[in-house]
Amino acid sequence: MLLREVDYARPATVEEAISLLATYDGARALAGGQTIVNVMKARVAAPDVLVDLADLDELRAIGFSSDGLLEIGAMVTYAQLQGSSEVEVARPILAEVASTIGDVQVRNRGTIGGNVCVSDPTNHLPPLLTTLGATFTIRGESGERTVSADEFFIGVYMTAVGEGELLTKIGVPPSSGAGDGFAGLTIGKHGTYVVNAAATISGDAVRIALGCVGATPVRATAMEERLAGSDFSEESIRSAADGLGASLDPPSDVHGSADFRRHLAEVSAIRAVSQAAERRKGA
Amino acid sequence: MTTVTEEPTTTLKRGYVGQSIPRKEDKRLVQGLGTFFDDVRRHGMGYVHFVRSPYAHAKIVSIDVSKALELDGVYGTLTGDEVAIHTDPFFEMSVEPGGNIKDYALAVGRVRHMGEPVAAVCAATRELARDAADLIEVEYDSLPVLVDAAESLKDEVVLHDEAGSNVVWSGVFNWGDIDEALAEADHVVKIDRLHFHRFSSTPLECAGALVEYDKGTGEWTLTCNHQMPGVGAIWMAPALRTGIDKLRFVTHDIGGGFGNKICLHPQYVVLCLMARKLGRPVQWTEWRTDQHTANAHGNERTFLDVEVAVKADGTMTGFKVKALDDCGAFPRYEPLGCIIWAQVTPGLYGWRNIRVDFTQVCTNKSPVSPNRGYSRMQHLWLTERIIDIVATELGLDPVEVRKRNYVKAEQMPYQTPNGCFYDSGDYAAALDIALDLIDYGSIEQRRKEAASRGKLLGFGIGSTLDSGTNNFGQSTLLNPELQFSGNNEAASVKLDIFGEVVVTIGTVPQGQGHETTAAQVVADILGCSPEQVNVRRGHDTWFNSHAGFSGTYASQFAFTGLGAVKGAAELVREDMIQLAAAVLQAPVEAIELADGFARIKDGPEEAALPFMALGAIVNANNAFLPPDFNPTLNHRYVCRPYFGMVDTEKKTGQLTLTYATQIHAAVVEIDPETGDVEIVDYAAVDDCGIRINPQIVEGQVHGATAHAIGAALSEEFVYDEEGTLLTANFYDYHVPHAMDMPPLKTGAMESPSPVAPLGAKGMGEGGGGGIHCIGAAIQDALRAAGGAIVYTSCNPPHRVWSMLQDPEATRANVEVVSK
Amino acid sequence: MGVPARSRAISLEVNGEQVEMEVQARRLLVHFIRDDLGLTGTHVGCDTGNCGACTIHLDGEPVKSCMMLAPQADGSKIQTVEGLAAEGELTALQQAFNTHHALQCGYCTPGMLMSATALLERNPRPTEDEVRYALQGNICRCTGYVNIVEAVVAAGGGSA
Repeated sequence: MLLREVDYARPATVEEAISLLATYDGARALAGGQTIVNVMKARVAAPDVLVDLADLDELRAIGFSSDGLLEIGAMVTYAQLQGSSEVEVARPILAEVASTIGDVQVRNRGTIGGNVCVSDPTNHLPPLLTTLGATFTIRGESGERTVSADEFFIGVYMTAVGEGELLTKIGVPPSSGAGDGFAGLTIGKHGTYVVNAAATISGDAVRIALGCVGATPVRATAMEERLAGSDFSEESIRSAADGLGASLDPPSDVHGSADFRRHLAEVSAIRAVSQAAERRKGA
Repeated sequence: MTTVTEEPTTTLKRGYVGQSIPRKEDKRLVQGLGTFFDDVRRHGMGYVHFVRSPYAHAKIVSIDVSKALELDGVYGTLTGDEVAIHTDPFFEMSVEPGGNIKDYALAVGRVRHMGEPVAAVCAATRELARDAADLIEVEYDSLPVLVDAAESLKDEVVLHDEAGSNVVWSGVFNWGDIDEALAEADHVVKIDRLHFHRFSSTPLECAGALVEYDKGTGEWTLTCNHQMPGVGAIWMAPALRTGIDKLRFVTHDIGGGFGNKICLHPQYVVLCLMARKLGRPVQWTEWRTDQHTANAHGNERTFLDVEVAVKADGTMTGFKVKALDDCGAFPRYEPLGCIIWAQVTPGLYGWRNIRVDFTQVCTNKSPVSPNRGYSRMQHLWLTERIIDIVATELGLDPVEVRKRNYVKAEQMPYQTPNGCFYDSGDYAAALDIALDLIDYGSIEQRRKEAASRGKLLGFGIGSTLDSGTNNFGQSTLLNPELQFSGNNEAASVKLDIFGEVVVTIGTVPQGQGHETTAAQVVADILGCSPEQVNVRRGHDTWFNSHAGFSGTYASQFAFTGLGAVKGAAELVREDMIQLAAAVLQAPVEAIELADGFARIKDGPEEAALPFMALGAIVNANNAFLPPDFNPTLNHRYVCRPYFGMVDTEKKTGQLTLTYATQIHAAVVEIDPETGDVEIVDYAAVDDCGIRINPQIVEGQVHGATAHAIGAALSEEFVYDEEGTLLTANFYDYHVPHAMDMPPLKTGAMESPSPVAPLGAKGMGEGGGGGIHCIGAAIQDALRAAGGAIVYTSCNPPHRVWSMLQDPEATRANVEVVSK
Repeated sequence: MGVPARSRAISLEVNGEQVEMEVQARRLLVHFIRDDLGLTGTHVGCDTGNCGACTIHLDGEPVKSCMMLAPQADGSKIQTVEGLAAEGELTALQQAFNTHHALQCGYCTPGMLMSATALLERNPRPTEDEVRYALQGNICRCTGYVNIVEAVVAAGGGSA
């Protein structure tokens, strides 16, 4: 409950934040703090310097890029996603999933950037952003780069954001008729996921990503291939999921054995794809 | 929704008693103006942090506090070595071998569960205390770990060398003749193993205290949240080598207890030693993870080799079982749990032949503490599992088989085979109310409808008793040398100088609304309104308004707590009437107390004295009163119910006083693909006799139900093989949140207790009705998917899924031998 | 300007009053509120941000004060349970908690009230489902939420 000593800074600009992160050893960005403050309370992790991003208004914006990409600042809260007309128009699944993260208080503070940078395998957004084909813009003193979800998520609590760098925004393609689905089993309503799955069907192609079965979102590529060009009938979705569980190496813990997670991975994938199929344009 | 089917019948005068008046406590609490122990500050106060064992079982090789002491702002430390010098081990209730266990306030030489306090440090701020704790270096040498009671029983590894065995207590309870009953039965249903899991009510406020030591008088003042300070002092004073009057317990508001705040004496002794050593007030606030890891779990119990005698018509005549109870690393309040269950030996059923071979062992897990429904809940879970497993195996209807076996209303008061008296109740009628509330007639139709959505629907009943007021004489069934029997509770009532009615209670409420219900009782007796009655908040040993076992536990406030309030109020009433008669020069029969006045019945308006006049005369203006007339308007009363002695040979006796009935019914839907269980309909019917305040009673029913639902579906303290608790906080230990709770329907009956002073039975603990009915509903739902038998009291999705995958694994546990 | 420091002079509005204080960077907001400001109505029920007993309003929105550092509140307006009935007159919601027996031990109550107050400000007549959704971040171990939900719905003028 009680933190180790830590230094705190609240920069006024993104450049200043990056400079602080680059200058101080053990510096870490503080976004909504809904994970990192807890981790620090447990004294599991102890950054030496916290760089609070609270004053960086440019990271709180939701808008569209010139080529129509939905751009979400890293400091956009879940509550903002829930209430955003841009999100509602371009990719409503983001608001729908955000509305089930934690609770009202957590959604008022927790941010999309924090969610993905923590890269907790049970988090909602990593698998979802993976299937949505999101891009991640990372800025450092030497400039800016944009990476895909596959490149972004590296491991538990590890992402492509390097030392002295900052995730500034996440780009999400508008749905353009695609159908998105998200399903899984939680511990209690809106609780932590035991397993989750996200699915996006765009035209004939489907992308499926599973959460809680590996360190980072796991793409169900075999299932995706089997479903390519399919009619997305319940039968074809179910048969496509065959063997998905066996292909995984999920963890065992108090909420489920690896076998249970393998099974849930299939169930969740089927449900997410079915939901996506129902929602795609022309379905 | 509340349904009351029976009009209360009582000879008691009913005024405020029986009304749902809003609680007096609430005004301060809704403004954040309650005072909880952590809200209290003292000048120069130090904050205490415990260094806790990361091992479940290890020798302590060395403890080095020097680096901690070097830190600026650190006031001092305490280690097990000092504790062993300055204190004696806590009193143990058991006979040998458990009675030989040495339990100190800090680990001495060895740790026996993860999170066990091994040292304490005190510093100027909370943060510093934790910083300093991180600097204390402890070297451990790990030992083999026991996390399974059956393994403990082998004594291959022994936790307590002084005891020489992991067995705390064992004994046989044998009433009637179960061998004959089994021989005469048409069917014998055998169940190999049932497991009641570890969980606790996890009150939202954790434990803690502010302790001050007065060097001049040698007195300690504990501003704390101990819910049973009388017993706390019995443990602490001898350990501290001091008199019991040197320990002043003060409570204000307490953030829930549920039994989990009964065994706080080890930490409190550390605080006492620290306060004395440092010469300053010290304060300790337990954190949630510490509470989960190392404070108070409910008893875990395994039932082995159950055999049930069943007649052809579904009548059961008895059962036998081996019960193996796991109390964790130290017995503390145990082995009382080895007998408390016997208050409800046959459950609600007319079973006359019961044999229980009971053994309790230590393991390298958190110590246990009484937990809502303490020990009876585990046993009632067994009786309900027996009913539903027998029903499933023999194809009997769960409603009919209950009604056939329930003790009948016309048998009340009913004496159980072990000598307890079920005072009143109509179990079958209560069940009918529950069935109506959930529209039992439509179950099959709803089952079909659910099946069309791919869901498995099931229905289940939980029938339980909440036995109120402990007879501590039952402890002599465990250890005949113990000098405990009976029970009592104290209260004081006075009419003060300006006419204020002031009530002091010995009980230590933690949310049960005693300030309100005590005021209702007093208002009726003194003829005023509850607003005029000031019931002092909390408990203070210096009030001298408590008894040996004062506290709020064992559902006993309605009997002894309110009995004491009633007794004291009646003595004050007597004084008031006599005084009024003397002043108004009227016969005492002509005086009535009403509307805040003592007046002559049907007399002239001026023939009335306001309470203020009475209070002023006695307290400030009494010279004119004759020498032989001395009304004090200030009375302490001790309510001592009659129990009689228990028979330690036959293990019989009146172990408790009142029995409130709970009938719960649940309808669940299982998602067969995930094992997720959703409660789609739920009813709880409670009969606690006269309800002093029906709204408060209903609130207790809601709360007990929520605890049971959490326990049935998610709350479980799970350990790995290393003895690490895997559910050490609210992340992994999932308690019901608002969206998890189904809508609850409640119903009520009032079967007044013929033995209780107000006809009111103790209630609030419930009997874990939700655990039983949800387990039964899951088993019912699974009938359509392989017919698994529910063998454990906690069924989260992964366990339900396992039962769906391999129903035979659970069915192999059960065998029916028919004539 | 952002030079990292172990402590920070913070300035914020608490229940309508301006407060300025030097705090350790590591000080949790809830401990600042309870220990430094003496506003002990805000409670601590867990150490993982799950229970919501420490819920306050930060710039009008409910947040858990145990998942924020005190310096993060620099420049903000916060309201605690003590600020609800600032004039001594209970709010309709506080009154409803009393009438509907929505509290037992009272420990979760301040957090519940703060969450529910925020809901009612945004949605004056919430349904039962909306109330449960809004209170999902507040654990109560006494009431099973039944009467809490009923009280919030009633405070909004509806009947549960």
